[in-house]
Amino acid sequence: MTSGTDEMVDGRGRIRPHWQGLIGALADLPGDGLSERARRLDAGFAADGIGSLLPGAEAAWRCDPVPLPISGAEFATLSSGLAQRATLLEAVLDDLYGPQELLAEGLIPPSLIFANPGFLRPCRASLPDMRARAPLMGAYAADLMRGDDGRWMVVCDRTSRPAGFGLVLENRRQVARAMPESLRASPPRPLRAFFDAWQDSLTTLGQHAGGNPAIAILTPGTRHPFWFEHLLLARELGCALVEGGDLTVRNGALFIKTLAGLQPVDVLIRRLDGRRMDPVEFGATGSRGVPGLLDAARHGAVRIVNDPGTGVMEAPAWATVMAALAPRLLGTELLLPQAETLALSDPRTAARILADLQEAPERWLLRPALDGNAAATDPAALDLAERARFSRQVAEDPAKWVATRTPGGSVAPVVAAGRLQPRPVQLRMFLVHDGVGWRCLPGGMARVLREGETLGGRLPGTGLAKDVWVLTEDRADIRGPAITSGPPIAVRRTAGDLPSRTADNLFWLGRYVERLESSARLLRLAASRGARGDPSPRELADLAAVARCLIGAKLLSPEDAPSGAGPGPMLTAISRAAREGGPLAHRAAEVARLTEAVRDRLTGEMYATFSQPLRHAMADLRAARGLDALEEGLGTLLRLCAAVAGTAAENMVRGGGFLFLDLGRRMERASATSMVLAEALKEPPSRQETALRLALDLCDSVITYRSRYLTTLQAAPVLDLVLADPGNPRGIAFQCAEIRARLSSISDGTEVELVRAARALQTEVEAMAAGIVDAPDQAVAAAALPPRLEALRAAIGALSDSVTRRYFALLPAVQTIGSPLAPVDRPLMGAA
Amino acid sequence: MTSRWRLRHATTYTYARPVDMATHMLHLTPREMPGQKVLSATIRSVPEAARITTGTDHFGNVVSWLFLDRPHERFEVISEAEVESGFPPPPAAETTPPWERVVAEAAGEVAEFLFESPLVPIVPAARAFAAQSFPPGRPVLEGLLEVMSRIRREFTYRPGVTGISTSVEHVMTTRAGVCQDFSHAMISGLRGLGLPARYVSGYIRTYTPPGRVRMRGADQSHAWVGAWMGPEHGWVDLDPTNDCVVSTEHVVLGWGRDFSDVSPLRGVILGGGRHTLHVGVDLEPAES
Repeated sequence: MTSGTDEMVDGRGRIRPHWQGLIGALADLPGDGLSERARRLDAGFAADGIGSLLPGAEAAWRCDPVPLPISGAEFATLSSGLAQRATLLEAVLDDLYGPQELLAEGLIPPSLIFANPGFLRPCRASLPDMRARAPLMGAYAADLMRGDDGRWMVVCDRTSRPAGFGLVLENRRQVARAMPESLRASPPRPLRAFFDAWQDSLTTLGQHAGGNPAIAILTPGTRHPFWFEHLLLARELGCALVEGGDLTVRNGALFIKTLAGLQPVDVLIRRLDGRRMDPVEFGATGSRGVPGLLDAARHGAVRIVNDPGTGVMEAPAWATVMAALAPRLLGTELLLPQAETLALSDPRTAARILADLQEAPERWLLRPALDGNAAATDPAALDLAERARFSRQVAEDPAKWVATRTPGGSVAPVVAAGRLQPRPVQLRMFLVHDGVGWRCLPGGMARVLREGETLGGRLPGTGLAKDVWVLTEDRADIRGPAITSGPPIAVRRTAGDLPSRTADNLFWLGRYVERLESSARLLRLAASRGARGDPSPRELADLAAVARCLIGAKLLSPEDAPSGAGPGPMLTAISRAAREGGPLAHRAAEVARLTEAVRDRLTGEMYATFSQPLRHAMADLRAARGLDALEEGLGTLLRLCAAVAGTAAENMVRGGGFLFLDLGRRMERASATSMVLAEALKEPPSRQETALRLALDLCDSVITYRSRYLTTLQAAPVLDLVLADPGNPRGIAFQCAEIRARLSSISDGTEVELVRAARALQTEVEAMAAGIVDAPDQAVAAAALPPRLEALRAAIGALSDSVTRRYFALLPAVQTIGSPLAPVDRPLMGAA
Repeated sequence: MTSRWRLRHATTYTYARPVDMATHMLHLTPREMPGQKVLSATIRSVPEAARITTGTDHFGNVVSWLFLDRPHERFEVISEAEVESGFPPPPAAETTPPWERVVAEAAGEVAEFLFESPLVPIVPAARAFAAQSFPPGRPVLEGLLEVMSRIRREFTYRPGVTGISTSVEHVMTTRAGVCQDFSHAMISGLRGLGLPARYVSGYIRTYTPPGRVRMRGADQSHAWVGAWMGPEHGWVDLDPTNDCVVSTEHVVLGWGRDFSDVSPLRGVILGGGRHTLHVGVDLEPAES
């Protein structure tokens, strides 16, 4: 890369005028101020979880503390040029999915349409009574680099589901917080007005429904690298975030499945590949789409932004015809230059480029003609053998390639090793159609190019960004606060509005948090008992009981249980449980995944409690060596789980979200407690004191028992406390009463069957405890309890299944028939 | 010369478990075109669809969408139509342009049928097979007729050895299959040479008039190949399964790049478990 232009410094080494305010503010920072601010930014992103806690997704976008300023005049040029380009792209789309006159006139080579994987034939189907079509493109982004002449030029069009809107918002929020002096010295134009306008235009777009249209963002799900961005966008636009499984088409209209039934969707912002939107039309390429969606869209019942077929314009080969299309469709020339791009389908061009590949490899970047997502190949970066191989590949079918003149590019200062260092950047700008015309976001995202990275294409999942500040020429232009702040994050809905999938995820989050806690409690107990060393026969029996509980909780495999060989294998196994791939680590990962999946339902406080500390606690546990360290780490984890429960109780509105979270937690606790009690009591009556002590330990009820009965351990009072005492929040009866209350609230008192089942559980627990009190020999009666406790546990499981069936709309398997392209799909489950 | 046909195409799915909801996309209505007049056409289903939409697809074919939202264990769809057909005879083969000229003139709309499509990649074996009939300068229709005849002679018609997703590669190796396989193989070969070729879905007469040979591919959906002969002569339909030029014994439903564009019925169902499929087609002369 030649990196001709320096964004900050002009040809004579002077700071450019629009950088001066910013540089002044930076210069006033104390000694290592810049590094400090960079660290602060990283910490800000980590705390707010942009580097989500999903496994393997740790490295996400980072942001450099120094923004990239753009003068008001330069922005005006960019903004009008990009608006014109968006207008042109829309006009081409309108022709491609309509009369195809441009093809007939020979202005577009047929391959650009017919061999283009983004040209979706079902989107061209027409109905006899079809009304005028809404614009196909509602949002657009362009990647730009500077040419040799220093002008910004377009290198890449993103027309399908342009990514980065949300990242820009997040960058601005974090940079504004970390760099207050710069913000004062060189205030950027605020971003909020743009999103307000977008929201207004989406509302207008949904007016076919009359009244207050419902808008939703369709995301591929939490595993998508830009899921976080989808979440930010949903908050900024104040709309629902949904996955394909949340949606259904009935009688030609689109709905979200909620606990209270179907709720209409009038505008759908698409973040799913166009080809996955409707398995009926495109063949089943996964079950994430919605059958019948295109039919609903054709009838105008739902507007899809952007239309599924818009990806056709992302093929790099369009750059070879855009300049010719502008006069034909708009009557003018392109305002903004684009990187010179040649089609190798012309044999003479192919010969010329192939020659250049050998003689001047730095001159061209090669891109697959029809794949806008592929990275460009920089021949200059290849060694001789690689370049020869690449040349042969291109020569084999030159028509599949286009060559783009390597842009001169530009550099901007980036904080590295405590200093500002010039790094090549690429600019991404964003536009939306506001119903009248295209409007450009006064800001953007500058990507710091990595070593060997060349032209745009798909935005990578990770990288270093710079916030783009469009400067106001006149301070009077500044309206409203310069710092965008997202709307407060809160549970907004009552039970009925909750999508079934979200309720399902909250329920399982409750179960997994509790499962994590009870697992940690069991492991800690095992570690503390095992750490005593050289166990007595009594302690060995005690350990065997603990081992049974560990096996029951799937934390230990039966072959590792203590035997003649002593407790060694068991202690090794419990140390392993917390490591990578161990059962405790797996449970923590499930908590992390579900936390992320319901993130839009959690307050900031709750998310903060759930996410980072959990990751740290698990990292400490992984690093723990020796039983003492393990015990300590598990203690931290236990406190964390308690904090989660406390935060939920304190911070969540007692609406649907909390109800399902708590319901899951109570069911899991009832189930786990009956399991450990059953295992602990599997001791002969003569050894029952051990069993009872263990029961109290595992139910965290030792203190309560001592305060009531001092140290005399007897079956009746112990079992009454852990089974039937309605005031013991660790006891089973308490859980049953809570389950009953939650089920009743969820349904507003209309649920009869499930409430009755919960009541039956409670009755059985009370009967068990009463049976011990009345028995002639308490110890013998207690030893007979395990089968009843196991039956109780099975009944709790059955109730959990009933809740799942009743509320989470477990869908039957989706399958495709009659299609040659479709393998049978995975079952579509209610859960994410 | 025209014939008048009465068409009945019944498709029945029987499911092991109830289907809760279903969406089906149908290419089961004959399209109106030069040489084919559709006098009447209806589609009905049991159970009755909650909603039916009818429109025109990208290729101009008639397409219908059926939506069922009540549980059902059986789904039957019946398409009935009355059609008058009589496709004009092709030009004398020796008067058609050299095939190289047709290759050079394939542009605009017809160029769509030059590219690989989901079920028809350009397979070297298919290209080589077709190339034998296209020596330099040969009039295009002569070559086309010869490729068609060679498929009839050299390939074995054998139902049951292939499925709806059998690859062209496989068919070129085994040289056996049914109408869909022969059509895909011929299309692949022609496109490999740069000649536009499309997949035509339709029917062939079920009854066998006295003294005539029973047609292959009757009693079910049939398929053949549309080939382009240049701007002057346009398209000609060739049936490689029966080695005949389509004239008065075929009814056209529609065309596309390959089977996947004009699959008679494609659906997404919720539930259902395993299913069995029964198809019955009758194409009989209508009494006027």
